[in-house]
Amino acid sequence: MQPILKLENISKAFPGVKALDHVEFELFPGEVHALLGENGAGKSTLIKIMTGIYQPDSGQILLDGHPIKIGNSAQAQGYGIAAIYQEPLVFPDLNVAENIFIGHRVKGAFVDWRKMYREADDILARLGVSLDARSQARGLTLAQQQTVEIAKALSLNARVLIMDEPTASLSAHEVEQLFNLTRVLRERGVAILFISHRMDEIFEIADRVTVFRDGQQISSKPIAEITRDGVIQDMVGRKLESFFARNEHEQGELMLSVRNLGKRGIFSDINFDIHRGEVLGFAGLVGAGRTDVGLALFGVEPADSGEIILKGSQQQIRSPEQAQALGIAYVTEDRRQLGLTLPMSIAANISLPSLRKYLSAVGIIRRKAEQATAENYRQRLSIRTPSIWQEAGKLSGGNQQKVVLSKWLNTEPQLLILDEPTRGIDVGAKAEVHHIIDQLAGQGMGIMLISSDLPEVLAMSDRILVMREGQQMGIFNREEATQEVVINAAMGQSRSDVKV
Amino acid sequence: MPPSFKWDSLKRWETLLAVVLAVVVIFNISQSSVFLRVDNLVNLFMLHIEKIIVVLIMTLIIINGEIDLSVASVMGLGACVVANLYERGVSMEAAILVGLGVGALCGIINGFWVAYVRLPSLAVTLAGLIAYHGIAEMLVEDRSIGNFPDWFNQLGQKALIGPLPLSLVIFFILFIIFAAVLHFSAFGRYVFVIGNNREAARYSGVRVRQVKMMLYIMSGVIASLAGILFAARLGAVRASTAEGFELDIITVVLLGGVSIFGGKGTLAGVGLSIMLVLCLRNGMNLLSITGNTQSTVIGVLLIFSVLIPNLTQDFQGFWNRRRMIAK
Amino acid sequence: MYRIRHYIRPEQIREFSLIFIIMLAVLFFGTQIDGYYSARTFNRIAASVAIITVLAAGQTLVILTRNIDLSIGSIVGFASYFAGQQLSANQDMHPLIAVGIAIGFGALLGSVNGLLVVYGRVPSIIVTLGTLAIYRGVLVDYAQAKTITTDMMPTWLVDLPRVNLFTVGEIEIRVMVGVAVLVVIAFQLCLTYLLLGRRLYAIGSNPDAARVAGLPARRIVLLAYILCGALAGLGGFMFLVRFGTITVSAGVGLELSAVAAAVVGGVNIFGGAGTMFGALFGAVVIGTLEQSLLRMPNVSEFVRDALLGLFILLAVASDAVILQQLRSLWARWAREARETPAAHSEKESGHAS
Repeated sequence: MQPILKLENISKAFPGVKALDHVEFELFPGEVHALLGENGAGKSTLIKIMTGIYQPDSGQILLDGHPIKIGNSAQAQGYGIAAIYQEPLVFPDLNVAENIFIGHRVKGAFVDWRKMYREADDILARLGVSLDARSQARGLTLAQQQTVEIAKALSLNARVLIMDEPTASLSAHEVEQLFNLTRVLRERGVAILFISHRMDEIFEIADRVTVFRDGQQISSKPIAEITRDGVIQDMVGRKLESFFARNEHEQGELMLSVRNLGKRGIFSDINFDIHRGEVLGFAGLVGAGRTDVGLALFGVEPADSGEIILKGSQQQIRSPEQAQALGIAYVTEDRRQLGLTLPMSIAANISLPSLRKYLSAVGIIRRKAEQATAENYRQRLSIRTPSIWQEAGKLSGGNQQKVVLSKWLNTEPQLLILDEPTRGIDVGAKAEVHHIIDQLAGQGMGIMLISSDLPEVLAMSDRILVMREGQQMGIFNREEATQEVVINAAMGQSRSDVKV
Repeated sequence: MPPSFKWDSLKRWETLLAVVLAVVVIFNISQSSVFLRVDNLVNLFMLHIEKIIVVLIMTLIIINGEIDLSVASVMGLGACVVANLYERGVSMEAAILVGLGVGALCGIINGFWVAYVRLPSLAVTLAGLIAYHGIAEMLVEDRSIGNFPDWFNQLGQKALIGPLPLSLVIFFILFIIFAAVLHFSAFGRYVFVIGNNREAARYSGVRVRQVKMMLYIMSGVIASLAGILFAARLGAVRASTAEGFELDIITVVLLGGVSIFGGKGTLAGVGLSIMLVLCLRNGMNLLSITGNTQSTVIGVLLIFSVLIPNLTQDFQGFWNRRRMIAK
Repeated sequence: MYRIRHYIRPEQIREFSLIFIIMLAVLFFGTQIDGYYSARTFNRIAASVAIITVLAAGQTLVILTRNIDLSIGSIVGFASYFAGQQLSANQDMHPLIAVGIAIGFGALLGSVNGLLVVYGRVPSIIVTLGTLAIYRGVLVDYAQAKTITTDMMPTWLVDLPRVNLFTVGEIEIRVMVGVAVLVVIAFQLCLTYLLLGRRLYAIGSNPDAARVAGLPARRIVLLAYILCGALAGLGGFMFLVRFGTITVSAGVGLELSAVAAAVVGGVNIFGGAGTMFGALFGAVVIGTLEQSLLRMPNVSEFVRDALLGLFILLAVASDAVILQQLRSLWARWAREARETPAAHSEKESGHAS
């Protein structure tokens, strides 16, 4: 059988990085082809080349055996290549039908609304979803927005559909619906490139699995021939256990108690304690409400019910500056948008939350002191940069994360909330971050570790709190928390969504 | 040693401004033997002194990622409040204080909607522009109020320190204070951080709303002060006092290399831009080019100040691609 | 109740509320001003609204794409002066050619804005602040202090403001009003039924998605600017017709009125939402307030702007507060409809039958 799309010998380099190194890749009609790899392995570069956002430096792309050039996303669409992303790109002000058809190359200049609604209803019916073509996109859930994008791809007669972490923000029930859609498309002969970090999903939906590491293709096998451990080993290039190590610590006195914490429509009845020197892991799927609990503790999105008792006294935390004054620090999951001010220097970023410490009597910032602090953290956390006056935006992901950590450690917090602290950073930097977490706990800091990286939570936490759809499913001790226990709690007993 | 500014960006834009300024100055000297005389230079500043005082605070507001279109109306309103109160027999000193207070109030109104309700500042201050001007009209109607006390009229012209009149002294003092605040103080750091990324600033515990509110209050007070100084210089107040100044003010700020999207700019660049615009207008006066052609030239400069860097970038990209293909 | 959300959007409720406000205002002024309900009042308001409406329509096109055009006051002035000059030079010029000259001239100036925004990648507020000054400055130099006066105009033009299209009872619908209404209806139809119109919304609604969907965003934004310029040119011609006398300061400040009308009319200053009818209602609200306040006893004619500014602020604030509330209500209905699948499917089938 001939592949629909074949990438031959593709290379792509960016300043300092070889993103793709002589890559071969094939997509056959009617298959779900899973693409695996750590962040930075070259997956997103490959997708961008397939959708015309990047041009390869060398190599060629074959469509049905004929070489093609994909200059932009409109051309990609013309070749029948469509993509949906974790964050769907919909037009919030337009309705569902318009979102499906807006990008179509049509003959007439006129919009025939009746016909458009009819065709949209038709496509949605073929996908077996009950979504009103007339409702505005603004009010749709993420899952519904993705459905709209899939409908759009179908309406364009897409032959290749790229799904880039489509399940990352979906509930289990929504994931099941998405997979049903995917199977519909597969039966229609569409080639699907599926990217996900969730191993269970890969085994449920994929026909073939290709693993990338450091811009190279490591393996490509039918699903029947692979094992979970084998795939992971291919991804990280070494045995899994080797890079997590926690030292034994004495647990100190009680620092934080959270009782019946809730926020309407987001999470409810959250109860936990954190002691000095303890790492409390927060596991669960993306969208389970873990980040929201963190934001509530840090005062960004205050909770509306329940109690927060910090060192014995009850606190109403209404703003980040208040949380900071109480000794709470929050390392956000979105370090580029929320963690750093990218165009400003590393030193300025580190001193920002504690800028008052650096003021002279007349209110001028003492740059020498600022510099000394930054140099100190540069050494302590081994931030690799030519100068601490360099723009934070020019650092690699791992070094950026260390700057964010520095900026919060410099506020001398007692409770450190870490939200996905190792997402998108390379393996080496990841191990360094884990080492830092272990050290901080050893110094008596209480740490709340939110992570979707299950092995990381299991290895780093003293206890693990599992959340699912805004509910606390349980707290497990280190000894009883196995991968299976946590996954079962995070997913619920069965995949189907039981509503009370 | 830590660099005191961001030298990278400074090198490019500020150098270009300085070079253009030097050319204009040399031209002016060649055209007029009196150009470098102190009284001529003072006069140069005094012709637009009220605008350039407001330029200073506008710089901070634009770096903060907002805009204040209402400044000219606040200038007019400040002057009208003072004139109206004086006409009713209130002492001039008290009237000036009330005028500044009204300016602060305008700032609070703008700041409340922008900082706390999070409305777009363009829309809020556009409404302010119309409303504050309307209040000025209510106070003065279609009259012209003058006959101010002598000391007040002299404030506008008489040399206070050496050859410098009060408003010029105020300008220089404010320039130094604002440069220090923007580039060396915590408040200035917050202004930049918020302008770059409001949410990141909030996540770092910066009091975003207070900073924005503070800026708008400062804007209101300074604009009102500038309007009162304008009244002192002209010796009379109309409802249309300072009408349309907002565009000139914003133009000077943007020409100084301040990004309309916030987060980027230096007071040094704005200082150079002030000098450049003043000298350019003076040079055009020497060539007897009228005021309208002058605004045309300034408008062209404004557009080119963004267009040229963009086009150079395009050209560089094109050149690089050509080179890569050649290789 | 849930189904309502499919057919009426929060934005539409906001537009309808303007009609309500206009009615309230008219009722209020009726109790305050003697003989308010008269054909004279109507004509006076209509004449002032007509020009603002045409300008607001153009401004709406640009704002929908997440841009702004602050130069239209100068375009109006230049186009009206230029058209007036051509007419005084050629008295027997065909009226349609004269209108065409004004529109074409406006479109030319608009295209300069558009090219700089689209291909020069200069932020629209900078470009149009610049051209606001440039167009006016060039006009002043071009005019050399000469003023176009009524007696230089052909008679048809002088008579045009009083020409009736048709009469409803005592109310006479004049040509200018007809033109404004025609513009609004034509462009609303374009926005609704042309693919191009929908894409205008798409670009302003989510520029990133527009790029990924392969929409020709640059050309569409350029077109929006050209149309905005053309409508400003038409507005300039109407200005010439209404006043007959054109100085170099003709149309100063109209850009603010146009933006104000659009914003009051519910056109989202961040693009993606708004309609021509909204802009029309916005212009009517502003025109009614302006002209009625002028005739209010006990109220200084100078109060007008203060109230107008307040009103714009309230309109923007209501966008932020009320529209958010409505939207979250709509979203909640959508959620509840999902969470009660049985009831929902019942409604679905009930609707289908």
